Amino acid sequence: METKKIKCDKTKENCNGHLQLDFNGNELKIFNGKEISENNKELQTKEISSAYLNIINSIGEDSSRQGLLKTPERAAKAILHFTKGYNETLQEVVKDAIFDENTDELVLVKDIEMFSLCEHHLVPFMGKVSVGYLPNKKVLGLSKIARIVEMYSRRLQVQERLTNQIADALQEILNPRGVAVIVEATHMCMVMRGVEKFNSKTVSSSMRGEFRTNPKTREEFFHLVKSN
Amino acid sequence: MNSFKLVDKLSRLSMKPESLPQISEGDNLKNQSTTTPCKDNSEETISSNIANSYLNILTLIGENPSRQGLEKTPMRAAQALLHFTKGYQENISEIVEGAIFCEDVDDMVIVKDIEMYSLCEHHMVPFFGKVSIGYLPNKKVIGLSKLARLVEMYSRRLQIQERLTVEIANAIMKAIEPRGVGVVIDATHMCMVMRGVEKLNSKTITSAMLGEFRNDPKTRQEFLSLIKN
Repeated sequence: METKKIKCDKTKENCNGHLQLDFNGNELKIFNGKEISENNKELQTKEISSAYLNIINSIGEDSSRQGLLKTPERAAKAILHFTKGYNETLQEVVKDAIFDENTDELVLVKDIEMFSLCEHHLVPFMGKVSVGYLPNKKVLGLSKIARIVEMYSRRLQVQERLTNQIADALQEILNPRGVAVIVEATHMCMVMRGVEKFNSKTVSSSMRGEFRTNPKTREEFFHLVKSN
Repeated sequence: MNSFKLVDKLSRLSMKPESLPQISEGDNLKNQSTTTPCKDNSEETISSNIANSYLNILTLIGENPSRQGLEKTPMRAAQALLHFTKGYQENISEIVEGAIFCEDVDDMVIVKDIEMYSLCEHHMVPFFGKVSIGYLPNKKVIGLSKLARLVEMYSRRLQIQERLTVEIANAIMKAIEPRGVGVVIDATHMCMVMRGVEKLNSKTITSAMLGEFRNDPKTRQEFLSLIKN
């Protein structure tokens, strides 16, 4: 399959519109999440529905039967929901929920449920995220930590990158003495297909600052995450 | 769906009816098409077609399909979806493959906690869980793994949990004509967990009771207590 491409800066995780044509040589419709108006959003949903309609017909189903009649549209809205993170920025999510506090002890928000889409197979992976940080005179509204997890997970992702992005985000907004993020997830792409190992879990972590340099700090974090 | 309506739908999908495999009753319940893609289209063409749709979807959601992580995603996603819907290509006789044995046994046989992965036909998002099957043999028993294979066949399709449960029960009824069949499915629906109401602990339980499992409360009770954890 040949695709016509413009040279892409691969360091950018979300640069839009570089691929111009699809596998059949038809022009691809490009939408940039941030610039979508109401009209565009409707068009975007309609175009994605069209793609799903084609998929349903291709697998041999009857798209006109009652159960499938509105499926293209529902599936389109579902995937837009699963990728709504692209339309959000750190500034919007955090707003002004950063407070001056004279505390320097570990703050841990653990077992935040996370649902994401594997970017390799477009199949869900889900699990828990635990985030800890050592404040440097500033603390973050606790629910914002969960919102940051939401923002980065509602995208096409790779678990390793997701973990790093969450850690980077906290580093950026709080400049704390250390950040630690652990993600433990089950990947449907490994469970429903391929190797089909349904008990397997993938654990990834990202340690910054004192969590990286001081083993005792790191140990305390792991201990607190593990404990019930 | 009667055969005339089926033929009509097929012609609209540009499929020749005579090129279809034989569809038996157990495979073809009301409102579900179990047709295979036209034999004139190779698997590769179907795959490419689906991949193209996924490529469009990637661009439409605002991603860049030419970046390294997404370069081969359309094809991988197409292969994944075809795997999740491979049940359409299968039928009862192929699956059971003659693993039916005459045995003078009439006590309940249960295979429980068979893991099941399916795709919700309303949102095309996975739902998964466990299937427990029980039956009362009528001089015939079925190879145990075939029960799991029947679950596979019906779950690897666009489904709703209610229909999946009934299809499995009917298939066993058709294959070995037992005195009764009971099927219970306990599943989590990602369409309820990842979107919409977002209730992550909720589970959906459905059951299908046929023959003595339906008529005799004691049999049903025995089955339900044996499959409980």
